[in-house]
Amino acid sequence: MVEAHQTQSELPNLVSFLAEAVGKSTHLGEQVILWQNVIFSLLIVFIISLIAYLASRKPKMIPGKLQNAIELVVGGLDDFVCGILGKQGRRYTPFIGTLFIYILFMNLSGIIPFLKSPTASWSTTLGLAFCVFVYVQYAAFKELGFLGYLDHMLGKPRGILAFSVFIPLMMFILHIVSELVRPLSLSLRLRSNIWGDDLLLAVLAGFGPAGIPLLVFSMLLAILAAVVQAVVFSLLTTIYFSLVLTHEEV
Amino acid sequence: MELLKLLSTNEIIAQVLGFLILLTLLRVFAWKRVLGVLDKRKERIAQEFKKIEETRADIEKLKTDYNAKLGSIEEAAKDKMHAASLESKIILEDARKAAHIQAQGIIDNAKAGVKYELAKAKDELKNEIIDLTLKATENVIKEKLNQEGDKKLVREFLEGVDKL
Repeated sequence: MVEAHQTQSELPNLVSFLAEAVGKSTHLGEQVILWQNVIFSLLIVFIISLIAYLASRKPKMIPGKLQNAIELVVGGLDDFVCGILGKQGRRYTPFIGTLFIYILFMNLSGIIPFLKSPTASWSTTLGLAFCVFVYVQYAAFKELGFLGYLDHMLGKPRGILAFSVFIPLMMFILHIVSELVRPLSLSLRLRSNIWGDDLLLAVLAGFGPAGIPLLVFSMLLAILAAVVQAVVFSLLTTIYFSLVLTHEEV
Repeated sequence: MELLKLLSTNEIIAQVLGFLILLTLLRVFAWKRVLGVLDKRKERIAQEFKKIEETRADIEKLKTDYNAKLGSIEEAAKDKMHAASLESKIILEDARKAAHIQAQGIIDNAKAGVKYELAKAKDELKNEIIDLTLKATENVIKEKLNQEGDKKLVREFLEGVDKL
């Protein structure tokens, strides 16, 4: 694992400095390098939680600047989710909204000097995609029930000859494969985009002063990509929910 | 397979736990509270709008009532003015009749007075004429006629005068 991390070209960060300070070849240095994505993730968890706490500790009907900003984000995400899932979307707003904010912060942290994007690691994105997979399946079971879920997995139309056994069976297998592939596609898309951005920034930073204009331009693109990838991840998650929740209506 | 070497089970589990911690914290601090505040505010705004609509409806109703009352007041004023006009005409007519009657009385009284004065003047004139005639007759035929005979002649003369 240490080799895997070391082969990536990336800018030095606080954790890598710490590892150098304690010695990269030491056990502690190896462990620090190994867990650097988790360390940055927890740092971001702490920052987001702190902001959320400060903004909402004394919620007022006439909000201050921070509460206003948080309300803008929370209200916007709620509208985004409910716009796709309808009124029942409110139940899934916290999950999808948290996912969006967390991914956005992790994506953007790679642009800040001496920080790193944890989403450039596939383990991070796969962990998040796994959460999505589990929650979508749980929501489907909860909303549709076991038979409803089975009905959803068997697909439609059904009823006569081939449609009674063969095609539903094939559809069942196809659905299982598609459900299992979703976390992989979600996680790889996010990881690859952010890893590519970070790699590009690291390479351009290596050019020295001559690479600064390109670096600035790439940073702007990286910011755009960070936002777009967070939106794509959240949007696809919302769509996965809508596919299982509004199955009967479709 | 090369790609799978990038994965770390421990890191995946740690990331899942990290996300679940964040989800729990944000559910308490952000989503529950902020969405609650947003819902309350939305509800409050809706109520305010409802109140405004109700107040507007009340104002419209009051305006309608006011206009109706104003109309009825104008109608009542017109009726009163009409009644006052009729009353004034009656009073005027009564006054005119009373004045006419009074004037007629004055005229009648005046006529009666004139008649009385005329009769009185006639009587005085008769007596004057009688006296003058007697004196004249006495002067002319002093001793030929007695007093009874004279009076008879005078009366006959006066009756003749009345017939004139």
